[in-house]
Amino acid sequence: MKILLVSLYHPDLVHGGSQQIAYELFKGLKQVEGVEPFLLASADHHTPAMFKSGARITGFDGRENEFLFLSQGYDYLWHKTPSVNLAESFKEFLELLRPDVVHFHHFMTYGIDYLTLTRKVLPDAKIVFTAHEFLSICAAYGHMRRLTDGSLCNRASAVRCHQCIPALPPEHYFMREIWMKTHLAVADVITTPSRFMIAHYVNWGLDPAKFRHVTNGMRMNVKPFRASTAGRHNRFGFFGQMVDVKGLQVLLRAVALLRAQGFTDFTVEVNGDNIHFATEECRAEIEAFFAAEAELPAASRNVIVNGAYHHDQLRARMARVDWVVVPSIWWEIFCLVISEAWSFGRPVIASNAGGPAERITDGKDGLLFELGDARALADTIYRACTEEGLWASLAQGITPPPTREEMVAGFLEVYAETAQPASSAA
Amino acid sequence: MSRGSPRKPPDPASPAPAAHNPAAMAPLHPPAPAGVHPPAGGPFPAGGPFNEELYLRLNPDVLVAVSSGAFRSGREHYERFGRAEGRPTMVPSSLVRDRVVIMADPDRIADKPRAPAGNIDHIKISPAGGIYVVGWVNDSQDRLESVDLYFTGWSISFSAANIARVRRPDAEASVGLLTPQSSGYWGFLYAARRLPATICNAIVRLKSGAELHALVTVDTVEDEELRNITLSGLALAKYVGDPYFAAVQSIDAAIAAQLIDFNQMLTRRAVNAPYIERFGRTDVQYKGSIIVCLFGKTDYMAVQQAIFARQPGIGDYEFIYVCNSPDVTEVLLREARLCSMIYGLDVTVIILNANAGFAAANNLAAKHARSERLLFTNPDVFPRDADWAQKHTAIVQDLPADQTALFGAPLYYDDGSLMHGGMYFELDRSPRFHQGKRQDTAILRVEHYGKGAPPDTADYLRPRPVPAVTGAFISTARGWFETLEGFSEDYIFGHYEDADLCMKSLEAGRPAWLHDAKLWHLEGKGSTRQPQHDGGSAVNRWLFTRHWQEAVARDILGPAPQHASLK
Repeated sequence: MKILLVSLYHPDLVHGGSQQIAYELFKGLKQVEGVEPFLLASADHHTPAMFKSGARITGFDGRENEFLFLSQGYDYLWHKTPSVNLAESFKEFLELLRPDVVHFHHFMTYGIDYLTLTRKVLPDAKIVFTAHEFLSICAAYGHMRRLTDGSLCNRASAVRCHQCIPALPPEHYFMREIWMKTHLAVADVITTPSRFMIAHYVNWGLDPAKFRHVTNGMRMNVKPFRASTAGRHNRFGFFGQMVDVKGLQVLLRAVALLRAQGFTDFTVEVNGDNIHFATEECRAEIEAFFAAEAELPAASRNVIVNGAYHHDQLRARMARVDWVVVPSIWWEIFCLVISEAWSFGRPVIASNAGGPAERITDGKDGLLFELGDARALADTIYRACTEEGLWASLAQGITPPPTREEMVAGFLEVYAETAQPASSAA
Repeated sequence: MSRGSPRKPPDPASPAPAAHNPAAMAPLHPPAPAGVHPPAGGPFPAGGPFNEELYLRLNPDVLVAVSSGAFRSGREHYERFGRAEGRPTMVPSSLVRDRVVIMADPDRIADKPRAPAGNIDHIKISPAGGIYVVGWVNDSQDRLESVDLYFTGWSISFSAANIARVRRPDAEASVGLLTPQSSGYWGFLYAARRLPATICNAIVRLKSGAELHALVTVDTVEDEELRNITLSGLALAKYVGDPYFAAVQSIDAAIAAQLIDFNQMLTRRAVNAPYIERFGRTDVQYKGSIIVCLFGKTDYMAVQQAIFARQPGIGDYEFIYVCNSPDVTEVLLREARLCSMIYGLDVTVIILNANAGFAAANNLAAKHARSERLLFTNPDVFPRDADWAQKHTAIVQDLPADQTALFGAPLYYDDGSLMHGGMYFELDRSPRFHQGKRQDTAILRVEHYGKGAPPDTADYLRPRPVPAVTGAFISTARGWFETLEGFSEDYIFGHYEDADLCMKSLEAGRPAWLHDAKLWHLEGKGSTRQPQHDGGSAVNRWLFTRHWQEAVARDILGPAPQHASLK
């Protein structure tokens, strides 16, 4: 069985969750007998050195079955690529490869209409689409977090979307929805890494029968630490991008609250980068906190900024903390950081929504706090630091995160299903 | 000095007529109104004492004339004119206080006409002979007579009746008018020939003969640009009274017809030598040709194609995109190629060299259609039902020909409510008072059945004849469309040609019908709209009313018209 995985970016060129999962799947499928996987990963202006004169699809760094789609001029409004040449190259690539399954892990940098193009070129191929966020529903980065007040969005509509991005009239969002649904309708199966996502898509009007939950899985290849279950567990770690939705600012506010009430016997280690992608307001808040912290005597500092890290450094960074905090202020689809924390036996303190809420059982294998509420997070950190036996109990409750093999098995099951008849209602 | 200001001394041998003298006074005898005292004293007796100082005080116009050298003295004036005119030479024996004292007929001794406050802002001329003049004049007391333009070798006089009058708040402020006035003016004329012009001696002439002179440098602008400037001016002008009526009234006498002539010339030019490219199959006889007129935007082409492509039976239809914006050629052709590749529908693209307007573009596209059924569809119109194409085909095939010769469909807003299910006409009337005269204006208004109604309101959805259907979607038998000579190209840009077509169809014996083939319509989102389009709409309102007011008033007016074919 030939399987073409279509990925937004290559994880070795641009970091990101969806491409990491696509690549994990690609590597996992390579291990399966009778399966021949291909990876088509996009590259764009972030990696200009990958572009070759006159080329639109190329190989990648001498790797077998890995290709780059050299995306240009992408239309982020309608999520389509305006280039006829790129579309023709994609079409020829499909005709050349003739895969049995085309599995889109994203449509960005290609175009949602490439699903329909794929169906036209390969009428008998199985088309699988994995939703790594809500981009087809939500024009506000696919976060389904309202730009009006920061609340989580449960229902997209023409007027509500217009309220989030008023530059466009309600009619645009009405058409955007029809446009997206029209193309998603050609997918035989839509998978999501978390179950709660399915409800959002069904609320949006898609057919629940078309959805499958297939977990994200990773090959961690780590040995859990032998962490002491006794003693203090007052070291907290943030792992992720320093952008608004990841909620680092909520964690820093919680630190300020704890200090204000005189509690300082804890540390927070910040691991991550990409603060330049944060909004100006968020960036200013985070940088102001870091600057003030740097002014303090070393012994008085609660927050330590470690900066970016490579996957190989993860073990060392995890070793320095007892807890991992996921203070995201959006739905947080799956949260690979939870898998990473669990791989190292670290309980997670997370916002009580989306993927974290689905994966973490409060009080059993982690702690949940009210999303966006710094006071609630401060209370939770205080409890984590002071409640005797809590860390040990939660660490004991952790189950191993899904593996790459589990994910591969899940997708193989999807690929093997008989193709569903296409439905206009998606 | 009045209609007879002594700019130079008249010939003493022939006594100047009163109208040319420094005011011939006639003794006043009628009863004086309250607050006005009749003249006291009388003419200076022949040979009596003459008080030079007093004569000049009582006759300030003579004082001015003497000062300017027209007369050597007041005495000279009196001897030559004043005596005959009955000029006062002495004060009343006792000066009445707090009353106006009439010493001569003020109407006969009015001040000399002064150049009016005003300006000639622009004179623009286009290569094909469009002439546009705009300015303002304070003619609240002394009415405008004409605006005369003298060029080298030719001239034109715009009569006041054919000049549009508008408000000019800037002028009102500059002359200190507290009440809104129609002090602005503009004129347009299409000469249909090249007119050389660089400098114009322009004269704004009032009824009194007073004149405003200016030497104006002429702007030369392209024909299309001149149309747009003129129509934008019409749309953006301020008016005394409701602009809806006032704009139409302002062009009623002559300008509207001139603009239509001018636009027709531009339309003929725009549809000349179109670029045509076909994508997909070329040797197919279709059941229908979906004709989409584009202007400015191509965004919805892909959306429309994506949605239509999922319709069962859509292979029986071709698409013709006719584009009034040559500036989007590259994007349009690229989109068409992509759509052809991704959706595989048969598409013809026709690109015009300029904006020919909705009617002419659609008429041209109809000529290139390869079916006997034309579906004029806006770019922001999309099928609401998954089996729309099959429904449409069934309507055409199964229903009597007179019900399908020309029909529309219920259209829906994006919010789910009914946009409308057919159109009817109302007549708006407005009594309007201008410079003390009454000028009534009547305008036919297109109204919509069921606007904003719940989506399934049966009354608005049932198949029935209606006075008109919107051009956003019209399905018509090609032969019938040709019999009606297509859309009238008299209408500028767009608006009202759809109602006009339906009225022609009704007059020819087949009313427009409404059939249940529901569509979404994101009104106004499929093209770009600029002020000149609103100006065009004003002209179209005028034209549609002029053509159809009588017929509509007879038995088509209102939501339940009495016309036999509409019952």
